Amino acid sequence: MTVTAEKPARTEDNSRPTAVKAGLLDPGQLWRSLPDALVKLDPRVMWRNPVMFIVEVGAVFTTVLSIANPSTFAWVTTVWLWLTVVFANLAEAVAEGRGKAQAAALRAARQDTVARLRDGRSVPAPELKQGDVVVVAAGEIIPGDGDVIEGIASVDESAITGESAPVIRESGGDRSAVTGGTKVLSDEIVVQITQKPGESFIDRMIALVEGANRQKTPNEIALNILLAALTIIFLLSVVTLQPLAIFSKGFQAAAPNTQAINAHGVTGIVLVSLLVCLIPTTIGALLSAIGIAGMDRLVQRNVLAMSGRAVEAAGDVNTLLLDKTGTITLGNRQASAFIPAPGVDPQELADAAQLSSLADETPEGRSVVVFAKNEYGLREREPGLMTEATFVPFTAQTRMSGIDLGGRQIRKGAAAAVMKWVRDNGGHPTEAVGEIVDGISSSGGTPLVVAEGNRVLGVIHLKDVVKSGMRARFDEMRKMGIRTVMITGDNPRTARAIAEEAGVDDFLAEATPEDKLALIRKEQEGGRLVAMTGDGTNDAPALAQADVGVAMNTGTSAAKEAGNMVDLDSDPTKLIEIVEIGKQLLITRGALTTFSITNDIAKYFAIIPAMFAGVYPGLNTLNIMRLHSPESAILSAVIFNALIIVALIPLALRGVRYRPSSASALLRRNLWIYGVGGVILPFICIKLIDLIVQFIPGF
Amino acid sequence: MAGWLFVITLILALAVVYRPFGDFMYRVVSGKRNSVVERGIYRLVGIDPNSEQTWGVYARSVLAFSAVSILFLYLFLRIQSHLPLSLGMSNVNPHGAWNTAVSFVTNTNWQDYSGESTMGHLVQMAGLSVQNFVSASVGIAVAIALVRGFAARKTQTLGNFWVDLTRITIRVLLPISVIFAIVFIAAGMVQNLSGGTDVTTLVGGTQHITGGPVASQEVIKELGTNGGGFYNANSAHPFENPTAWTNWIQIFLIFLIPFSLPRVFGRMVGQNRQGYAILAVAGVIALASIALTVGFEVHAGGTVPQAVSAAMEGKEVRFGVPNSATFGAATTLTSTGAVDGFHDSYTALGGMMPMLNMMLGEVAPGGVGSGLYGILILAVITVFVAGLMVGRTPEYLGKKITGREMKLASLYILTTPAVVLIGTALAFMTGHNSTALNTGAHGLSEVLYAFTSAGNNNGSAFGGITVNTGWWDTSLGLAMLIGRFLPLVLVMALAGSLAKQQAVPASEGTMPTHKPLFVGMVVGVSIVVVALTFFPAIALGPLAEAF
Amino acid sequence: MRLPSWISQHVAALRAVIVFTIVLGLAYPLVMVAVGKLPGLDSRANGSMITVADNKVGSKLIGQLFTDKDGNPIPKYFQSRPSAAGDGYDPTSTSASNLGPESIVDTLSKNPDDASQSLLTQVCTRSLDIGKLEGVSGARPFCAPDGTGAVLGVFRSGGFTGPITRVVAVNETGTPFLDTYQGVKVEPAQNDVDYQAEGAVMTPIRGDAPAKPAVPADAVTASGSGLDPDISPQYADLQAPRIARERGLTLDQVHQLIKAHTDGRTLGFMGEPGVNVLELNIALDQGQK
Repeated sequence: MTVTAEKPARTEDNSRPTAVKAGLLDPGQLWRSLPDALVKLDPRVMWRNPVMFIVEVGAVFTTVLSIANPSTFAWVTTVWLWLTVVFANLAEAVAEGRGKAQAAALRAARQDTVARLRDGRSVPAPELKQGDVVVVAAGEIIPGDGDVIEGIASVDESAITGESAPVIRESGGDRSAVTGGTKVLSDEIVVQITQKPGESFIDRMIALVEGANRQKTPNEIALNILLAALTIIFLLSVVTLQPLAIFSKGFQAAAPNTQAINAHGVTGIVLVSLLVCLIPTTIGALLSAIGIAGMDRLVQRNVLAMSGRAVEAAGDVNTLLLDKTGTITLGNRQASAFIPAPGVDPQELADAAQLSSLADETPEGRSVVVFAKNEYGLREREPGLMTEATFVPFTAQTRMSGIDLGGRQIRKGAAAAVMKWVRDNGGHPTEAVGEIVDGISSSGGTPLVVAEGNRVLGVIHLKDVVKSGMRARFDEMRKMGIRTVMITGDNPRTARAIAEEAGVDDFLAEATPEDKLALIRKEQEGGRLVAMTGDGTNDAPALAQADVGVAMNTGTSAAKEAGNMVDLDSDPTKLIEIVEIGKQLLITRGALTTFSITNDIAKYFAIIPAMFAGVYPGLNTLNIMRLHSPESAILSAVIFNALIIVALIPLALRGVRYRPSSASALLRRNLWIYGVGGVILPFICIKLIDLIVQFIPGF
Repeated sequence: MAGWLFVITLILALAVVYRPFGDFMYRVVSGKRNSVVERGIYRLVGIDPNSEQTWGVYARSVLAFSAVSILFLYLFLRIQSHLPLSLGMSNVNPHGAWNTAVSFVTNTNWQDYSGESTMGHLVQMAGLSVQNFVSASVGIAVAIALVRGFAARKTQTLGNFWVDLTRITIRVLLPISVIFAIVFIAAGMVQNLSGGTDVTTLVGGTQHITGGPVASQEVIKELGTNGGGFYNANSAHPFENPTAWTNWIQIFLIFLIPFSLPRVFGRMVGQNRQGYAILAVAGVIALASIALTVGFEVHAGGTVPQAVSAAMEGKEVRFGVPNSATFGAATTLTSTGAVDGFHDSYTALGGMMPMLNMMLGEVAPGGVGSGLYGILILAVITVFVAGLMVGRTPEYLGKKITGREMKLASLYILTTPAVVLIGTALAFMTGHNSTALNTGAHGLSEVLYAFTSAGNNNGSAFGGITVNTGWWDTSLGLAMLIGRFLPLVLVMALAGSLAKQQAVPASEGTMPTHKPLFVGMVVGVSIVVVALTFFPAIALGPLAEAF
Repeated sequence: MRLPSWISQHVAALRAVIVFTIVLGLAYPLVMVAVGKLPGLDSRANGSMITVADNKVGSKLIGQLFTDKDGNPIPKYFQSRPSAAGDGYDPTSTSASNLGPESIVDTLSKNPDDASQSLLTQVCTRSLDIGKLEGVSGARPFCAPDGTGAVLGVFRSGGFTGPITRVVAVNETGTPFLDTYQGVKVEPAQNDVDYQAEGAVMTPIRGDAPAKPAVPADAVTASGSGLDPDISPQYADLQAPRIARERGLTLDQVHQLIKAHTDGRTLGFMGEPGVNVLELNIALDQGQK
């Protein structure tokens, strides 16, 4: 017996991990994250971020100096140096905080259930092993990830997907995977557990959104190296300045001792201020927040990336493999025309087509009924009202379906099957019908021949319907330099027609899983990165081979294991969004790095004259911002340096605006905003801060 | 006006030779065939010209060759009094010999000595001049190896150092040297083995007119961006630079190879436009620098230049101020370090420019070879930052810039500033700055300049410091050694890492690296990331003096 | 026996150094020396010597001093530029002064070994001397009438700011070039005192000399090599009246000689016009014979 232990009642609106709206940052959130930010001041934690660690060491140093030699300037500067570190931690804490809210909600779903094994034993869910077989009845929570091996049930997966409509899970096929923490609504299923203890999907999801064992992605590592190198260069530049400063001060005997420089050289506080302003603190402070927020944005879209590496790879993708059905076209073909055989009244064909499809619950069948109603004004007849009717269901053997209505026998189905049936009934299908069938086939459509008795009445043209807006999307992709390849089981002719209509760059027809794998390998050998979606077990090798493999949540466990992302909405078009999120992540990093580096120019012009104008008054020429005093100039630069971190937290979390376009256009735009803007903005801001700071007594 | 025409004609001349000469060098380094002379050299050296080297072997070959060269030259200097043609010069002292040996092998050609009173003819031609050739070839070879790394697809090998060394020396450097040596002799440069001639001057005094194989050494001094003068006065000396037009030719020779190598790069990676982009980066910086230097010098700011009414101190009448300033910019934009006027007596801002040129890492266009690899490293850094902004893992010429590449590139840009800044700071901490001739800010500039020049393997001097002491010889020698070989090994490692990669095909999503926007970014990165590092130090030197 | 690769590399390196030394260090320069012996190149490769009455008197390319044993200019000769090469125009010790643009404070001392002149004072002194010799004003900006650099050491109560407490003419032990500076009496400098180190702010005083002084720039500055064979046509013209007077020539004759020995810019844009002093003086001597 599975029991739900103390599960708190979940109302409808929090049935889903609280989705924090991306990009919006309310001040309360900053405030709530403050304790976390303070905890992160622990040097053992700070050490992991070399840039900010240097700032912290500097802040400790100036604190000591301020205690030893107190002044307003020393203390105010020290406070702002500390704030710089706190703000950096705050950025990370806020980013993590959003994940924590989601994790908390997920944890609620991972209740301490007791699993009922098929052999009758009861085991606490966390102790389930791979291969255990459990029975789950209606109203019970599925104790762990696994595959349904017996039975069929409707399952509420809202705890994970946020989608309240129940889904069907049944043994065999591609809908066998169930996730621990979801709830069986009806019937009973037998589930074989596929997860290892503590590694359930929900466990991984929690770890993921919390960023618990977040590993630095390749790009982040490379960027960190550059930032560390810049930090070392500036550290050297500042430290080696001291002997030169001492020499200069000694030479200029007329120079009075100031708060910035005295006989022992530049004062510690000013030296640290210079260092902190020059090293790339802005990007250093926001780097991990950007990474966490990037993952978070995926989670917002119901995609779980198993590693940050996969998110980055998504930005790099050169080739997208898209399954035709469900991604490019609507899931099913639809009737688009009734073409009567020579001598047959179109109305008669429409009527027969409608009758033959009345009991056909497949989407194709329904589309015939709808088409007949819309185009021929035939009212839908209730199958239940036609008592004398016998419905002939579709079978793989007959490859046709139909209706026996009194003496009438109406069939529709694959051309060859129906023609044979007609001939068997003594009819002689005309050549003309064959031509119609061929015509439809060659245009990429599917012909369904409709016959009554020994007469062929005509052909229903079933057509793949390309989803609206796909062509524009693929054009965007092309602009981004991404090649789209449609994968389909259709014959090449049909495939080509649809590919042309949808506007994809290429297609793979009559694709077997092996073909798919081979295509991926071929692309990768050419140096390209490949992304694909998949759900079936036979997709697993390709999903594993692809650089970005997005498994559908509805898919099999094997597929989910093989891919490096899972789309909880099971929406294959999501792949395109994933690529965009990957790109946005990289762009945000690049933009803030550029911004951080270009900021230095203004800071140099604030601090250098402030530091040395006391020794060489002529250097005040460099004070192009006309800052009030050396002290106010240095403090203003430090304050700007700290505030810009807070100001950019929303941007770091939201990511810079991304619109699909060519690399040149993107570069130009971002360079103007973050490069040129990064040069100009600090000049203005430091000046403004200085206008305020000068009113502090002692400046 | 004439001064600008001087610059414009130089640009035109370099533009004319860019393609043919670049293509010629491309054939030299890419061709399969070896001439008889080259095959003879391979046999004598004992190497197989067809064997390919991995980056590690290539780098070790470079290091072995350079180490043996330093040792050889050191010995040469230490025993010169026992050799013929020594003109009675004594053996060079140990620290002087170390400094000079390192200096010439590293293509720095910093001179702690005065040529006419220290070096005999044999040491000049068979010792120093040989290194003028081969140190240049080493630089080009390493640059070519890096470019091969970009051009290669999934390979381990980068060519053969000995083949590159031999071909560049024999096919490029030597023939040009022969031609221009004759031109220079015709212009009045001396080329003899005489110990000098004593003359009685018009007013009855005596003057010792010096001799020596000057012309043959002068060409390679400029062509190989070496810069070590036969005489102390370097290219200001009438025997090293007799006329205004030899001055023009010397600047042309300084720029010839560095400004043509981007063509080789473009050819080798199969996209000439990539070469033009690199050329544009170097060209933009060089032009701006020359314009500023000439501008500052002609403007003649500062007390003494105002008193004089021109910045004529330390400059020759036949060259005049604008051409001297052009030379000063050219010699520091490359790693040459020859001077035709003395930088110490430039105006404060005019003297800052050569320093800034070197601080940029000498990438515009830089020393032979070293300039190209320096600028490619900057391009890699730029691609990394900019590449992220287009939303992809940054790639340059199809090669992904990942953690490993960034590590190497970052260490590269870290090395020279570290050497320069630490060296300068040490000089002040230990009080060795006291040998500077000038006081105050200008004295600081002299020390800063010395380490900047040594660390960047330039070799020009602000002058003014007495540097032939044990401390200066040792520390500057170390600065030159680290400033040359650490970056060089990093470049080779980068080449190896790039060669192994499969290339990513370019698409609309690839950031173009041949457009003006990218050129502008590389220039920006050079200035913001590299040059600004020195801003605090510059403020206490030239800027303090100027304002 | 196969050598380990690190040894074999060094063996190859040694062989390469030896081979290149022979090819580049001996063959190449010696062939060039041989080329230099070809007729036409011969005299240039050997220093462009000028022979007067079978005596080599110097090189066309190397400047000379035209002073007497005490270093005073010999009036009948055109004078070369100042030189920092040894005691002047010494090819065995080529050098520039290497003094910077703000070298403006002399070190004053009774002991000549400790004393040194700033570049400013050197320029001012040369200008004054040449002015006297040529009978024109030797005044220059930032120069005191006595030929020292016009520099005041200004002491202020707050270092760079505040009221002036003391003013010293740091380059002059005699009567200062100014009586008062902003109302404060200017005192003469004392030997062996470093006013900079005592907290004075060095303040050069522009004075009222014209921006373009009568004595041209090249006449008061040392060249880079210390062997500059040329002077500017302006400096030659300045000296022309004296030469004419001393040699009994008309000014026109002298000007014509100057013109004949003036090299214009090469191709009209390279370098600056210069007058070869040695050749000009030889021409003068020969014209006298």
